[in-house]
Amino acid sequence: MDRGARWPIHLALVAVSVAMLVPFYWVLKTSVSGDNIFAYPPSVIPRAPHPFYYVDVWYYIPFARYFLNSVAVSAIAVVANVGLNAMAGYALTRGFAGKSIVLLLFLSCMMVPFQATIIPAYLITGRLGLLDSYLGLALPQCSTIVCIFVFKASFEAVPSSLVDAARIDGLSEFGIIWRVMMPLAKAAVATNVILSFIWSWNNFLWPLIVTRSADMQTLPLGLARFLSYQEDTTGALYAFCVMVLAPGILLFLLAQKQFIQGLAAGATKA
Amino acid sequence: MTSAPADAAAPATVRPHRFRPELRGAALIWCLLAPSLAIFLLYRVLPLAWNLWLSFQDWSPLHPAQFIGAENYAEMLFDDEVFWQALWNTLIFMASAPIGIAIALALALLVNADIRGRDVYRTIIFLSYPLMTVAVAIIWRWMFDERVGLINYVARSLGLVDHPIPFLNSFDWALPSVIAANIWQMLGFYMIILLTGLQNIPPQLHEAAAIDGADALGIFRRITLPLLRPALFLCFVIGILNSFTSFDLVYVMTGGGPGRATELLVTYIYKLGFAQTRFDYAAAVTVFFFALLIVVTGVANRLSGGDAGAMRLD
Repeated sequence: MDRGARWPIHLALVAVSVAMLVPFYWVLKTSVSGDNIFAYPPSVIPRAPHPFYYVDVWYYIPFARYFLNSVAVSAIAVVANVGLNAMAGYALTRGFAGKSIVLLLFLSCMMVPFQATIIPAYLITGRLGLLDSYLGLALPQCSTIVCIFVFKASFEAVPSSLVDAARIDGLSEFGIIWRVMMPLAKAAVATNVILSFIWSWNNFLWPLIVTRSADMQTLPLGLARFLSYQEDTTGALYAFCVMVLAPGILLFLLAQKQFIQGLAAGATKA
Repeated sequence: MTSAPADAAAPATVRPHRFRPELRGAALIWCLLAPSLAIFLLYRVLPLAWNLWLSFQDWSPLHPAQFIGAENYAEMLFDDEVFWQALWNTLIFMASAPIGIAIALALALLVNADIRGRDVYRTIIFLSYPLMTVAVAIIWRWMFDERVGLINYVARSLGLVDHPIPFLNSFDWALPSVIAANIWQMLGFYMIILLTGLQNIPPQLHEAAAIDGADALGIFRRITLPLLRPALFLCFVIGILNSFTSFDLVYVMTGGGPGRATELLVTYIYKLGFAQTRFDYAAAVTVFFFALLIVVTGVANRLSGGDAGAMRLD
């Protein structure tokens, strides 16, 4: 392509980029000024920006509590996913009776979106006595089929001579997974961590169903609840919104390559 | 085969493996699989069966189950306008997926060009996808606001409308507004999938076609589009799935309203179960919901010529 034809491409991409970024800017602006709430026309540049809405958030809602709950649930989900998926992924690299049935079961389960299970999932969690608990919040997401296959593919790339050597050296199967496979499957671990973190951190429907007490609410629930008892037009709502979004945006910018690859790998997970 | 020092160093740990190794190995493999299997049986397989059973019962947490045949299904099909409205809205939501995919295809072609700063463009366009949908929904409520929303402000400044449109409170505008917000969030994701597809096309094909005198449009139609089919199909499956699962966005942006104008099957199931405590009836709607999803993805797969899974994203 010759150089002269490039400026229309830039023009189109800049226009799209603006469309993608403007909503963020609008919320950020409202969170530091709120000044367009009663003013028409709304000003594009914030008048007299101030941080007070960010202070308000701490008084209006137990932000620290929501944050802690979200961190606890995500931590359980991430640790469980890495551990359990690696174990299952390793098992699937081996030949054993019934393997084809297990694979068929996994592939079928992939077609079941979580949204199609909410009624029984609630009843089951209730029978297990896990309603309104961290474990109950995390349990349905503690192992993910896509991520098992990510580990399986990664483990299959490890030379079998290496595994044989480790076995001859007397390493147990767990030792092989932990000390031979995992260090060679760093990309798979990263994918697992990112996917399970994002899915659990952003999850709204399941916490909405399982939590009863205000003490157990996670950030997305807190945000939705805040919306329901504050008017749309309070700067504090948007300050809260920014506080919830900022860690995610930061994390994405720091590890965008892994994010994009990981999310593409988990494309059809529901 | 083995080195002597290794055998000498760990004779005690090697010995048990020699005792019926197949049996030990199989037991160990099932132990490794057990936790994941338990979770999937508990939260995927059992719920499907439970839904099916529950849909033929008259049951609530307060009184024992009673078999009532297909009464729940009869009510759903013949006596529930909300169900039909939710189904219709879900289908409209699904039918809008090609709009987002088409825009994403244009963007993928643009960011695939050899231009400066294309990684920055990709990052910006993808940024909205991994973010918390609840927060995205709140952002778009604000954008669509009747009095101070940016969209009304721009539309009025440009003279497109005389009076501000109450987008999310309007029966005509609410569903398109929610769909627009959804496309905004999904756009970058479709783009990345299509970009991967574009980059998997061998450049020699384009060069050969150009030498043979094909113009840019011809190359796009005869080479790029056909070879992009697996990626396009994957996008479409994601779009279908998305119309069945967009709970967070709808729940926070409109709550299914005004009236039932943005009610989707998924939000309706939630409301039936957890606002009205009609678990039995919600289970019947869920069975229909799941069956429809399987049928639609199956048909899409058939139409694509069985390309499902042909797309590798590494």
